[in-house]
Amino acid sequence: MPWRRRPEKAMMGARRGRRAPPSVPPDRSGWIVERSLRAVVDLRVKLGRLSLKNPVLTASGTFGYVREMAGFVRLERLGGVVPKTVTHRPRAGNPTPRTVETRAGLLNAIGLDNDGIDHFREHHLPYLRTTGTAVIANIAGEDEDQFVAMAASLGDEPGLAAVELNVSCPNVSHGLDLGIDAAAVGRLVRRVREACPLPVIAKLTPNVTDVVAIAAAAAEAGADAVSLINTVRGMAVDWRRRRPILANDVGGLSGPAIKPIALRIVWDVARALPTLPIIAVGGIADADDALEFLVAGASAVQVGTASFYNPAAAEDVLDGIARALDETGVAAVADFIGTARSNRE
Amino acid sequence: MSDASCPSRALMRPAATVLENREVARDTFRLRLGDPEIARRILPGQFVMVRGAAEGTDDPLLGRPFALYEVQRDESGEPVSFDVVYLVIGRGTAALSRRKPGDRVAVWGPLGNGFGPSPGSGSALFIAGGIGQTPFLALGRDWLGRASYGDRPKPESETPVDSATLLYGVRSAGLLAGVEDFERAGIGVEIATDDGSAGRLGFVTQLLADRIQAGERPAKVVACGPPPMLAAVARLAQAHDIPCDVSLENHMACGFGACFSCVTPILQDDGRPDLRRVCVEGPVFPAHRVDWSRPSH
Repeated sequence: MPWRRRPEKAMMGARRGRRAPPSVPPDRSGWIVERSLRAVVDLRVKLGRLSLKNPVLTASGTFGYVREMAGFVRLERLGGVVPKTVTHRPRAGNPTPRTVETRAGLLNAIGLDNDGIDHFREHHLPYLRTTGTAVIANIAGEDEDQFVAMAASLGDEPGLAAVELNVSCPNVSHGLDLGIDAAAVGRLVRRVREACPLPVIAKLTPNVTDVVAIAAAAAEAGADAVSLINTVRGMAVDWRRRRPILANDVGGLSGPAIKPIALRIVWDVARALPTLPIIAVGGIADADDALEFLVAGASAVQVGTASFYNPAAAEDVLDGIARALDETGVAAVADFIGTARSNRE
Repeated sequence: MSDASCPSRALMRPAATVLENREVARDTFRLRLGDPEIARRILPGQFVMVRGAAEGTDDPLLGRPFALYEVQRDESGEPVSFDVVYLVIGRGTAALSRRKPGDRVAVWGPLGNGFGPSPGSGSALFIAGGIGQTPFLALGRDWLGRASYGDRPKPESETPVDSATLLYGVRSAGLLAGVEDFERAGIGVEIATDDGSAGRLGFVTQLLADRIQAGERPAKVVACGPPPMLAAVARLAQAHDIPCDVSLENHMACGFGACFSCVTPILQDDGRPDLRRVCVEGPVFPAHRVDWSRPSH
């Protein structure tokens, strides 16, 4: 039966351009059945040691601790979820206002408000294990040792698919600044890999001169993937009050406004480091956005700020990808990733 | 912070139909959305997020929170639509005010906890400042036993209040919105304006202080409005042992607990403040639980 073809083969491009048969596969995990079961698209992707049933994830800090979203999204359909960043100790976060809307964008300075890793392990992980999707814990340490200790302690926990290192939050000082230093990122990734058996993803900042150099250091150190990009530093001012609007003065910009920045960075990194899997994040709100990132070189996408104004956005993106690839005659998303070519070649 | 609650009964409606969007006072609009299922579920004090953006556009990006104003029913009593009333204060509400009947907007809800059951016999006093009157029409009708909301039956044991009165303060008479709606619902209305153009000259909190001074002891005081007004109401109620709830209007990005924008310090059992999300743990809190010593946005 056609659907029993091995997916590994599909991912190597063997089925490129061929249409899948009009049948329902016996095991639907990893397959999306669209339009009255007329056709199927293989949506499975592999990023280093991390295998996902489809390329649609949610971005840390935009999906709460996941349970907030359960009423809006069929979580088990998603490729994975990334809960809000966890730190070693509880953090109160920044004063309010913590967010302000800008043109087609959102500035935030939440400041990693969270109850710490012990609470995460005891309170959130048991729920997250029941969601039926890959759970990627996003962690931030104040220094390298804290990152390593946190990753090591999560490595013993069942039910986690990977850890994502937040070396790029723009809203807290000390420690997270290591994300602007390629050597420091490389050292951190290497130590986390030694201390933690889970796949390791480094989430990088766009607020540097050369993201490629930092991604290269992560790749060299054995990162399974990089997430590109965290928010872009920015601010909003109320001229009447002669004050910045955010209590923290400055924050990180997200939403559709930053999509072109994210696309350019994904493109650059994909071309410079073709073997490094990329998770794209930055302004992805619909399937077209996601497909642009996939064709530019990302192996998966994270839906972020869009979830704030369409809490079902991640599922909409997933449905839209399957429909568009089916209509385009792409049988497996893995064949589609990174297939955009430069106009200058 | 915690995750004591999450909006498990909320619905995402990417394209709810605008049935009506009419200016009812200066810069103040009454928006009617044709979504029977949200109308059927929503309770007084709960809110919905509505995007002002034209369908399919990215700007303004986010939704804005609006309290339930009223639910409309068909001849058989089935909910068919619901109203919110909003003041145009920024780009989001300005865009929303441009939506016409037949347009479609994204809406999600119902969100938040709502006011809860009637305090029983006695009177209810609602204190509203600015656009804070909006949750009290449905609440008054509910507590007076003249309407019921939500899809779960009211407990038989719930006793309606004997009377409900809205003390309504605005800057100027032109901003008074829907006074006749309250009166038609059997809710008394007493007005205060900052400029004396209607009702009493001065703050609405003075109306409350005068009533308490005269010996009135309502079964419950409920307030919604600017934080300094809420703090004043909370002080008065506490000083006279009157049960008091407040509905907070903190700035929100998502409305369902994901973004952590709307946090405010809420006093815990040990008396210490802890940041809680107004959207999922509120917007209604017992006044004595709110930490009035700290600014909140």
